[in-house]
Amino acid sequence: MFTQLQIIFLSGAIIFLTTIFMHLVHKNSSLVSLYRVQSFVISALILGSAIEISSILLMYVAIWMFAVKVIVAPYFFNKSIKHYQLKFTSSTYLNTPLTVLVAALLTGFAYSHYFEPLTILAKENGSGLLLSVATILISIFLIINRKGTLSQMVGILSLENAIVSFAFLSGLEAAPSMQLGITFDILVWIIIASVFINMIQNKIGTADSTLLNNLKEE
Amino acid sequence: MSVIIIWTIQLILVPVLSPLFLGIVRKIKARFQNRVGASIFRPYRDLWKLFHKDEVISEDTSWIFRFAPYLIFTITLILGACIPLFSTLFANNVLSDFLTIVYLVALSTFFLALVGLDAGSAFGGIGSSREMTLAALTEGGFIFPFLVLSLLAHSTNLFSITNAISSLPIFDSTPIILTFVAFVIVMLSETAHFPFDNPATHLELTMVHEAMILEYSGKRLALIEWAAANKFLIFLALGANMFFPWGLITQSSVWAVALALCIFCVKTLLLATFVAVLESSIAKFRFFRLPDLLFVAFILSAMALFII
Repeated sequence: MFTQLQIIFLSGAIIFLTTIFMHLVHKNSSLVSLYRVQSFVISALILGSAIEISSILLMYVAIWMFAVKVIVAPYFFNKSIKHYQLKFTSSTYLNTPLTVLVAALLTGFAYSHYFEPLTILAKENGSGLLLSVATILISIFLIINRKGTLSQMVGILSLENAIVSFAFLSGLEAAPSMQLGITFDILVWIIIASVFINMIQNKIGTADSTLLNNLKEE
Repeated sequence: MSVIIIWTIQLILVPVLSPLFLGIVRKIKARFQNRVGASIFRPYRDLWKLFHKDEVISEDTSWIFRFAPYLIFTITLILGACIPLFSTLFANNVLSDFLTIVYLVALSTFFLALVGLDAGSAFGGIGSSREMTLAALTEGGFIFPFLVLSLLAHSTNLFSITNAISSLPIFDSTPIILTFVAFVIVMLSETAHFPFDNPATHLELTMVHEAMILEYSGKRLALIEWAAANKFLIFLALGANMFFPWGLITQSSVWAVALALCIFCVKTLLLATFVAVLESSIAKFRFFRLPDLLFVAFILSAMALFII
């Protein structure tokens, strides 16, 4: 029905759209759900690649990635949301229209002549590659624009997904053992970051990073 | 002969089906509120009842108040005949240009705002003021999704756009999805649905559309209500056929027409269900937050333009 190239492009498009919607949603649970969709697409891409080249190790990577990004990470986030009643995301530095405007400008920048040379990496799917570049830039903007620590964490993980999507579209996939290691790093990072969020919440009573500026040593 | 029959179906489809879709949306909303709700055919009975009622017209009103309902209703009939509903056989229709459609919608909004002011009531004035504020922002958000589609299709004719979009490669799907999101926001604004307006209330603090037509009664109110239902179905049809242009016939056989009509009903029903679910799951926004939402629709379309 779809060619491999079309499936990879569609996956890149879904990751791009979920990143845009991450900027629009105001509920933390919606943000986590969007991250789950993103991660599911990435895991499915790796699984497809594993089936194509009949690599058992790559299949393990896909299963491990699915477990870490689709199950474990959202579980930690949802637990924090429930425990600390973080139903709504903390406010953003820019309001919604300006946020979308910046995202649009970043998309325009990704499609400008500055990034055009990158399309050499994937001549057949140049548009998809630039879409991944736009996703990377918009994910970085998500980290910068959000004041809540949980949103920033999701932003960092979304950036990681965007980089994986870029690697896929450009044909610069890392070796399965390397991918396994990176996913393990992500798991450790999620655990450490979750512990930090919990400590910040317990000690200060808020997950809003701007309020940390006013802390003084007693 | 078959073309004449298809033309007749195209002409009457929107006014015949529009009250039904209104009834379906109301029924779904009622079910979400744990109510049985009125029958899905209730809007037909309401229209029948209003057409058989006497009407009261204020002495202070001008000809605009008396003639606007006919004009607004006629505009929705023309719109219904000019957009792709179930076939792409009428691609040579000169009124099917997307700019014509946008400005016909704007013309009906303009006359609706005028009748709100004409009676001189405070509520009418408030409603017209709110409507024009929203309309000014909606216009850009309404033109841009079609602009993106017309750039992809290299045509401004809606029938040509549907033909071109259905044959576009999958690599062009991202701007179409972005513009669809923008179009849905604009549709909710234009058809007076949540989070822009609550069509089921007459609360003076929030009403927009209902405030403008408070002075109407009887036949003219029936025409205005019918026109609003037509407009809703027109937007559903535009959303279903411009962004998901599959199932439209290019030949005039009986079975093809029947199948295309079924597909049209299913597509619009899905979109209507989505609107009903959305209305049941979100709260109405404060009036001063609405421009933000419309601006988001505009920027999403602009983003789609970058990606093309």
